[in-house]
Amino acid sequence: MTLKECYSSFGGDFDSVLLRLSREQLVEKFVYKFLDDKSFHLFKTSMENKDYVEALRAVHTLKGICQNLSFTKLYESSNITTLALKENDYQKAAESMPQLSEDYHLIINAIKVYQSCKEA
Amino acid sequence: MVVSQKDPTIRFLICSFIILLIISITVFSFLGIYMNRKSEKTVYEVGEIYMSGMNQQMSKNFENVIELRFNQVSGIVSVVSAERFDKEELYKELVYRAQVRGFDYLALCSAEGEFEALCGQPFKPLNPIPFVEALTQGEQRVAVGVDSDGNEVVLLGVDAAYPMKNGNKSTGLIAAVPVEYITDFLSIEGKNQLMYYHIVRPDGSFVIQNPNTELWEFFEKLQKRSGLKENKASQESALDEFGIALEHRSEYNTILDINGEKRQVCGIALPYSEWYLMAVMPYGVLDDAVNGLSNQRMVMTLSSCALILIILTFIFIRYFSMTRFQIRELEQTRQKALEASKAKSEFLANMSHDIRTPMNAIVGMTSIASNHIDDRDQVQNCLKKITLSSKHLLGLINDVLDMSKIESGKLALTLEQISLKEIVEGIVSIIQPQINLKKQAFDVHIENILTENIWCDGVRLNQILLNLLSNATKYTPENGAIRLSLYEEESAKGDGYIRVHILVKDNGIGMSPEFLSKIYDSYSRADETRIHKTEGAGLGMAITKYIVDAMEGSITASSEQNKGTEFHLIFDFEKADTREENMSLPPWNILVVDDDEFICKMAADTLKSMGIQNAEWTLSGEMAIELILERHKYDEDYQLILLDWKLPGINGIQVAKEIRRKLGDNVPILLISAYDWSEFETEARAAGINGFVSKPLFKSTLFHSLRKYAETNTAQTQTDKNMHLQGYRILLAEDNELNWEIASELLSDLGTVLERAEDGQICLDKFQKSEEGYYDAILMDIRMPNMTGYEASQAIRRLDRSDAMSVPIIAMSADAFSEDIQRCLACGMNAHTAKPIDVSELTRLLKKYL
Repeated sequence: MTLKECYSSFGGDFDSVLLRLSREQLVEKFVYKFLDDKSFHLFKTSMENKDYVEALRAVHTLKGICQNLSFTKLYESSNITTLALKENDYQKAAESMPQLSEDYHLIINAIKVYQSCKEA
Repeated sequence: MVVSQKDPTIRFLICSFIILLIISITVFSFLGIYMNRKSEKTVYEVGEIYMSGMNQQMSKNFENVIELRFNQVSGIVSVVSAERFDKEELYKELVYRAQVRGFDYLALCSAEGEFEALCGQPFKPLNPIPFVEALTQGEQRVAVGVDSDGNEVVLLGVDAAYPMKNGNKSTGLIAAVPVEYITDFLSIEGKNQLMYYHIVRPDGSFVIQNPNTELWEFFEKLQKRSGLKENKASQESALDEFGIALEHRSEYNTILDINGEKRQVCGIALPYSEWYLMAVMPYGVLDDAVNGLSNQRMVMTLSSCALILIILTFIFIRYFSMTRFQIRELEQTRQKALEASKAKSEFLANMSHDIRTPMNAIVGMTSIASNHIDDRDQVQNCLKKITLSSKHLLGLINDVLDMSKIESGKLALTLEQISLKEIVEGIVSIIQPQINLKKQAFDVHIENILTENIWCDGVRLNQILLNLLSNATKYTPENGAIRLSLYEEESAKGDGYIRVHILVKDNGIGMSPEFLSKIYDSYSRADETRIHKTEGAGLGMAITKYIVDAMEGSITASSEQNKGTEFHLIFDFEKADTREENMSLPPWNILVVDDDEFICKMAADTLKSMGIQNAEWTLSGEMAIELILERHKYDEDYQLILLDWKLPGINGIQVAKEIRRKLGDNVPILLISAYDWSEFETEARAAGINGFVSKPLFKSTLFHSLRKYAETNTAQTQTDKNMHLQGYRILLAEDNELNWEIASELLSDLGTVLERAEDGQICLDKFQKSEEGYYDAILMDIRMPNMTGYEASQAIRRLDRSDAMSVPIIAMSADAFSEDIQRCLACGMNAHTAKPIDVSELTRLLKKYL
């Protein structure tokens, strides 16, 4: 599995990220780092604790990462959540969570598969 | 002419056919009759041979039977000796022996002709004298006699000397059998036989008479004839001949005509007697056979004659229709040749007129020029007209030469590597003046032409397109529309080829279906009455068709009168071996403005395929200005604007002016134009147009026009990197580890020194603690824990230090809503850039504030 295939498997735009970061190794490095990023978990716990200010910050950060790494699909779902929280529409934010979670885990799994392929 | 030629032919054919018919029937009938005669004769001959054979056999039979009987009688004589018995016993013995041998009668005869019966009725021969004479001479003799009851008997006499009752010596012993005995075994009276028999004496009297009476008269005549010897008719001569034959006891054959019916008569002498066997065969039987045969033959002959005639008729009719067909074909070919020669003479007449017109102009203008040799303007005007006329003349002559080349089969293609783009551009620039002159709208639609370099005879392809387009302009009235479209698809010839479709469409006067059918004929020109003004040799389409065929392409035309015409060309070109240039452009935002939606879409697609991130399009100048301003508000300006010169409302130049007035000179604006822009170049440059892109918009056209701006951009970036950002110290407030690393990676590439602040508070602290002017710029994330970007910026601006207001703070956020941007600016930040971090954009901003 190539990184490009990995990207397309979870709805990312590999060409654009490569254009910006110019080297595939760099993209790979940051993608691996994404596995350790805490923003999603922070968002989740904040939502559970009904700390919406913190939740907004976390999901906003996640959105920024998505933009930087061109995770198009996750960007879209995180954007929806961000907008909902900004408008204090907590109901809508909570409703958008399953999609966000699904898109997030899709990426995490894809990266893990890619990583194991690469190591093997 | 056709009729007068056909008539004598038909008359001749019919006459000869009738003559043939008559001759055949005559010949066959003659043959039939002749053969009938012949066969009749042969049958008679065969009958004769048969009869004579039968007669001989009968006579042999007779001989055998009579000989047998004679031997029996001789046997009696040799067994019974006269010396051994007395008279009474001798007679008894003789009678006994005779009865044992099956004789009913026995008698002795004296030399004087006395007959003494020994048993049975007394009997006497009918003609005793020759009989007794023969016995006296010691011969054996057979004769016919009658007994006392009048029954006919056959007498067999042998020489024998027995004492007679009267005491005399007998001269012969005579045994007799009833005459039926002879007739039975000779089958003389058989029924259902072809023949019947008479036995006659030499004088013509009957010995044994057949019940058939028809020849009796003949024999009566024969008896009479022996006295008087005179001849009368043919029958009489036959009578004579027969009489002579009887006398000589020779075989005789003849045909007798009795009661109108022919009979074959055949006579042969019988041995041991003076008798003659006459076989008679009525020809009725033979005639029946012969007639049957001849009828059959006649039928066969006539039917074979009929068959042959039928076959002959059939062949004749076939041949005749074939000949007529050939004649008709010949006539058609002749007609065609006539038409062709008529077309050629018409063409010559037209041509000489067409040639004379520009020639007159040249001659006239030359003389005017020489008369006004000092008037520079006049001479120049004349020269211009002369040039035009010569060009026109040259075109005519070229056409004629091409046609003659084609007609002599000498037109060959020269394959070379050409660029479709160059060909089309060339064509457009050539045809443009003509189209402008007639104020026609001209569109070139280039659709996904990916392979521009191909193997083709460029000159000839040019010729085809030029011909089709100039026809389109010629036959389209003023203000009409003409469109040239190109698109590609995969070729059936394989990977090395590309199929190119070229369509030339106009909304001109169109063509009638009749004319459309002969559009490719040489020397034809559209309906003369409708377009008397149009000049040309009328060879264009013929030449075009020929070249298309030679290129193994196809051309189809569809046209409707007063609606327009469309030509569709399809070629399979071999792809040129040149490696396609890797055409890629930076991920810009570009706006395409054109009133033709098709061109917009195609241009946007082509741009995107080259790496343009966002290619938007709109159809009017007003909309374009609106879009550009909207973008500008969010500080997301287009990097480049492609503007059509001709737009429905305000034109391209005015749009450019408006943009420049509102936004300044930052964004390059390129003017798209199918026209020669030299006319309005100054005006356009003054309005702030940076450059021109010529239509049609091939991929390479777009790439080469836009690359310049990409190069200057990257070149600028390069200079920025090297000259301005090297060694700059930047404080980056970013709470997220990953985002920080990405930013750090990208910015350190530019040569900056980067320090991180994990949140707004840390950022504020770091800045506060630093020496004045230590940080050259601050990049600020917005949403951070403890203190947001807004708060941090406000706090920094409020600090009491010299660089507090001057240090550039650039917001770097995932949000790009206008309210976010407004808030950033309100909080004292200098600019806002949206994530993802774009190095060139960031560099641009930094450069702006540093």
